[in-house]
Amino acid sequence: MKTNLIAKKPYITPFVIWIIAGTIIPLISIAYYGFTSKDGGFTFANIIAMFRPDHMQALGLSLLLAFVSTAICLIIAFPMAMILRESKFGKQGFLIFIIILPMWMNFLLRTMAWQVLLERQGVINAIITAVGLPRQELMNTPGAIVLGMVYDFLPFMILPIYNTVSKIDNSMIEAAYDLGASKKTAYTKVILPLSVPGIVSGITMVFIPALTTFVISNMLGGGKINLIGNIIEQEFTINSNWYLGSGLSLVMMVFIIISMLLLQKFDKTGGANLI
Amino acid sequence: MGELIRLEGIVKSFDDNVVLNGIDLSVDENEFVTLLGPSGCGKTTTLRIIAGFEKPDEGRVYFDGKDITDMPANQRPVNTVFQNYALFPHMSVGENIAFSLRVKNKSEKEIRDRVKKALKLVNLKGFENRRIDQLSGGQQQRIAMARAIVNEPRVLLLDEPLGALDLKLRQEMEYELVRLKNELGITFIYITHDQEEALTMSDKVVVMNEGYIQQEGSPQEIYDEPVNAFVADFIGDSNILSGQMVDERVVRIDGVDYPCIDGTEEGFPPRRRVDVVIRPEDIDIVPYGKGLWNGTITSKLFIGVHYEMLVQSEDGKIEWLLQNYDQHDVGEKIGMYVDPENIQIMHKPKSEAESAIEIDL
Repeated sequence: MKTNLIAKKPYITPFVIWIIAGTIIPLISIAYYGFTSKDGGFTFANIIAMFRPDHMQALGLSLLLAFVSTAICLIIAFPMAMILRESKFGKQGFLIFIIILPMWMNFLLRTMAWQVLLERQGVINAIITAVGLPRQELMNTPGAIVLGMVYDFLPFMILPIYNTVSKIDNSMIEAAYDLGASKKTAYTKVILPLSVPGIVSGITMVFIPALTTFVISNMLGGGKINLIGNIIEQEFTINSNWYLGSGLSLVMMVFIIISMLLLQKFDKTGGANLI
Repeated sequence: MGELIRLEGIVKSFDDNVVLNGIDLSVDENEFVTLLGPSGCGKTTTLRIIAGFEKPDEGRVYFDGKDITDMPANQRPVNTVFQNYALFPHMSVGENIAFSLRVKNKSEKEIRDRVKKALKLVNLKGFENRRIDQLSGGQQQRIAMARAIVNEPRVLLLDEPLGALDLKLRQEMEYELVRLKNELGITFIYITHDQEEALTMSDKVVVMNEGYIQQEGSPQEIYDEPVNAFVADFIGDSNILSGQMVDERVVRIDGVDYPCIDGTEEGFPPRRRVDVVIRPEDIDIVPYGKGLWNGTITSKLFIGVHYEMLVQSEDGKIEWLLQNYDQHDVGEKIGMYVDPENIQIMHKPKSEAESAIEIDL
């Protein structure tokens, strides 16, 4: 079947190779390690390990922080996207440029910049103490991690939402007003429902990386706050326990797929192509 | 029938582009008024100002004697049928129609009854639960009408509502619209660039070009007595010739004098340079030498009801457009005769807006 397809459409060969090398082989090896014990036998132990109290606690915290970051991103991004939509054409390009500009800088550098700002001797504390307030512990808190996530992932929320709201026909909104709707009704009954596909893909693009991140929590959590991403990373790097790391990864993957399927229930208007 | 809407000295520009140059317009209660003109003439902007989507730079809008210039769109007693229908794709047909009733917090029972009645009016009984994307273009058009009339507005604004439909459906909808207007007994303000639609349905036609009203009047007046070359050319086919008044009720065209019915009283004194419009269907074919002009048929098209012919005048200066029920052959030499009352004298255009549209071939 596949060889047939390649014979018919030879130009897809590089993509087939890419998918095999980049998706299928890693998935198979993770599945293999996930169901294998240290002595080489088949086991469910690595999967069940997710229910250990320390892992459940990390997963719970990850979910909470990812949820909070996604919600904050959404609250900032939707009005932003509407402002972008209503601004004039020349200005629009410039504003989008400003929004995606930080994305051109390395992700690690951006996160590191927050370290400098949030440190005990950092810029923000310098300002706080200068006005006579006590020094604050900003680093190594859940708040710092949420801040880092929002800062890093916000463009991924704004762009899909902007992309959707910019395509809403102006006459649709005018029709709402024409039929007597107040501004609030026009938003809740027309604009918001028509923005759902963008909101769904924005949530997807922020929630998944926020749920699985370990770099942001490492850098802004100082190793004191363990998210599920950190635990998996540690199993692969520090403990060299690929079996457990793979098992936990598999559980996370199933977990994410289920949450995406749930999310798509909300997206009735046809943007259901995220998985 | 009293005056319902009055526009006074409406001026509107977008950036540096002046779209409306001082529009004065009066619309009576229960009137079917059509704003007719080519794209960019300002007809849509005029409608949007009445709907409240645009604010005029200068001038006032009155509704039933009240100044509504600064009233927001959601408080005006008018509803709009949009050119692309602008139906809400995330709502069913019934919910689309119910939208304005829900905004007003009507009871569920009243909403159900009125949606049903509106659907019946547009001949789409039982369509409440359909999805918008399941409807054909013509059905969407009817739903857009139903949604706009369910709230019983005093004025319905229609922005080229038939533009996206095919010819057969369009002609059918023309009758439907007139029937609807009569059943509802409300005022229609209708926008189109299609002169046939305008003539068929309207009580009053307002011809616009380049931000000015060129002429307003009944369809017959507009067709039979266009005031300038633009109107004559835009409303139907016409022969527009340059001429000069040489005497009371005598016009000289191409060096030959012809009787006509316009003179000093109508504003065309002797020696005034004028434009003359002759409709192609008003030209009778007579034997060679027996008419006012002679010429040779250079081309012939059969277009259903009649033949359309081009006739070259003998000196080659004028090309006439003729419409005739009888068949004549290309190359045939003929005479042409026009009743004096069908020779329509017009003022020379004072601006580009009053000139006929040049079509580059």
